[in-house]
Amino acid sequence: MLQEIIAFIALGIALAFLIRKFFFKKKKFDKNCGDDDCGCH
Amino acid sequence: MRTTINSLKKGEKAIIKDFDIDVIPLKLLEMGCLPGNTVELLQIAPFGDPLYLDINGSHLAIRIETAKEIDVELIKIKL
Amino acid sequence: MINQNINVALIGNPNTGKTSVFNQLTGLNQQVGNYPGITVEKKIGFCKLSHNIKANILDLPGTYSLNASSIDENVVIELMLNKNDKLYPDVALVVTDVENLKRNLLLFTQIKDLEIPTILVINMADRMAHKGITLNIPYLEEHLKTKIALISSRKGFGIDELKKLIVTYKSISNEPCLSASVIDPEYFNSLRKAFPNQLLYKLWLVITQDVNFLNLERKEIQGSFTKSHSDLKRLQQKETIKRYQFINDVLKEGLKVDATIAKDFRSKLDRVLTHKIWGYVIFFAILFVIFQSIFDWSKVPMDFIDSSFASLSTLANNTLPAGVLTNLISQGIIPGIGGILIFIPQIAFLFLFISILEESGYMSRVVFLMDKIMRKFGLSGKSVVPLISGTACAIPAIMATRNIENWKERLITILVTPFTTCSARLPVYAIIIALVIPDTRVLGVFNLQGLTLMLLYLLGFGMAIFSAYILNKILKIKGKTFFVVEMPNYKLPMFKNVAINVIEKTKAFVFGAGKIILAISIVLWFLASYGPGTKFKNADEIIRAKTANSTLSAQELENKVASYKLENSYIGIMGKTIEPAISPLGYDWKIGIAVISSFAAREVFVGTLATIYSVGGSDNENTIKNKMAAEINPATGKKIFNFASGISLLLFYAFALQCASTLAITRKETNSWKWPVGQLIFMSGFAYIVALIAYQILK
Repeated sequence: MLQEIIAFIALGIALAFLIRKFFFKKKKFDKNCGDDDCGCH
Repeated sequence: MRTTINSLKKGEKAIIKDFDIDVIPLKLLEMGCLPGNTVELLQIAPFGDPLYLDINGSHLAIRIETAKEIDVELIKIKL
Repeated sequence: MINQNINVALIGNPNTGKTSVFNQLTGLNQQVGNYPGITVEKKIGFCKLSHNIKANILDLPGTYSLNASSIDENVVIELMLNKNDKLYPDVALVVTDVENLKRNLLLFTQIKDLEIPTILVINMADRMAHKGITLNIPYLEEHLKTKIALISSRKGFGIDELKKLIVTYKSISNEPCLSASVIDPEYFNSLRKAFPNQLLYKLWLVITQDVNFLNLERKEIQGSFTKSHSDLKRLQQKETIKRYQFINDVLKEGLKVDATIAKDFRSKLDRVLTHKIWGYVIFFAILFVIFQSIFDWSKVPMDFIDSSFASLSTLANNTLPAGVLTNLISQGIIPGIGGILIFIPQIAFLFLFISILEESGYMSRVVFLMDKIMRKFGLSGKSVVPLISGTACAIPAIMATRNIENWKERLITILVTPFTTCSARLPVYAIIIALVIPDTRVLGVFNLQGLTLMLLYLLGFGMAIFSAYILNKILKIKGKTFFVVEMPNYKLPMFKNVAINVIEKTKAFVFGAGKIILAISIVLWFLASYGPGTKFKNADEIIRAKTANSTLSAQELENKVASYKLENSYIGIMGKTIEPAISPLGYDWKIGIAVISSFAAREVFVGTLATIYSVGGSDNENTIKNKMAAEINPATGKKIFNFASGISLLLFYAFALQCASTLAITRKETNSWKWPVGQLIFMSGFAYIVALIAYQILK
């Protein structure tokens, strides 16, 4: 039983990690970008 | 016909005269491309572009589209 | 004596050996992170300067001036202007190269004008004799108002003196070199009247740059002091000219060159390496040697890692108490980690070679040779490194695009790099080729299987170039195109720098891709180990009932049960569901499962196949091969893995974007979702169509 619990917790962590990685809204930062694109467009 | 860096032949040296500041990025100036400084064409890439230059001691390569905006005066070698 | 911790900032032009200095001062006590919100690396190291003073050394991105033209350079300004940043330096070390002192000093004078104690580090002193250079250090120290450390990070001398100098930082003058007001006396006088408490030069930087300067609102300054963009540029030009005038005056006396002594190795080598025929021949020969070596050298370590993890998995299974968690660990987590680590040899070797080429200065010549050709396809000469790196792993490759100035060229490079054949595809290629390509020789010399592999590599490159061409035509992105590449002196790569570089890049793969692969492996394991409905739950009984009449060993029975369970697990159901979509490509639901799972990382394909074809716990390639070769399609009675479906699979994997990690890094580097999503849709769609056509034609 304990094994099952831990295993499912691991699953939960893995899922949470993936969701955060892929669906996390990028942080808004104050700085403007310079003249040429530094990745913002 | 303007004489620009683009007109130089391999091995030729010239003095930088003038260029439109809005067209040439500040970075190039900071690397030494300033009126009065010397520029020497060291190598031309196969196909003609980019140009490998010695500008004021800095060794760097730039594309023709930038080179042709920089006016120079050829230094004639005394024979 | 109180213990002190001071902040030291390492600043300098690229190619001055700044990184070597950093490595010499910090050894392996360094950490690489990220500045919040942007993709610039933050490198901090620790160094004991004296018995009670420690230094936090921040290695800032190489820059030519404080007038930033990229986010890398922005980072430098942000730090230098913000006194409240906890990394704000107590002392700045400006690293310069004795052969390029004139240009390097531009940055030095700018830093000095920020009134921070600044030490001038003149590196590569060992080259002075070669080049006939002599320096008048006291003269320079007096006129530049600083203390000078003459060092050679390569030979390792001068470092101790440098450390001693840093300790005395409080006694170094903070006077600026150039009074900012010489740029435009009237303008600066009015600035000074309005903001009497601020450094003039700092104000100037805030006006001309887009920086956050916490103590002053930009609006305040902008109100009365705005100038047009053109005017500002003109003033910046003046500033540059004034600075160079100052530098020239100082160096006239401070630096002497005896041209008769100067030897010129660089131009001799350049003539050969940038030659219109030999340049390319040499480059391609080098590439060939690199790839050959990587293949040869990686085999042994890879086999070792493979078998170690297989043993580890069995060990875990046998020693840990039976249960779900143990199964997760031995069948999901350990193989997952093994699957990541197995690529370290290949990736490390590739980055070893690239690092050596960069350190030696040769890479700039390659960029020079390739720029014109690359531009025809919307790429830059600087795209060469990412494209080559992509054959190891797309993640460090995409990170390497950061030095491409032109946004369009950089974007296109990021988008097409995943087409190159990365290491993870090799296990898939290997097993399919072994299955469907005959092991014969062509023309008596070329092994057909090897030839197929090479063709797949070329296909990857070809597709990358071709899509770049299309993207170039389609994408309407305007941007200033400005290309400059410094051509540094040739030098022997320093082992320490290369080693640290390789470790960094490998870590990027292991931790970047690794975490994602591991997470997905865990999820996939669950999907494969649980299933809805009674079929799954009662698998054991069902199979026993079915096979009651035949004689099977315990192992074979177990395998059959496992296989049945898989068929009815969540992932099995997913595979069955997509079967109608993939059968025109020659795949059945089993292959469907493998394709879905390999979205984590392509190499998972082989592992999943092993499970599906009920080979129990071993990853023995031969056994899998035999099993796969024997698989028959129930509907047609023909082999599943035949030439047509094999080619179809190969092509699918050649073109499909199946690496979740690549998507993640593309999103990060382009700061938006539309690009990675577009990439996914296009590449998957394209792969599907090509595989479809191939199968239909060949079957």
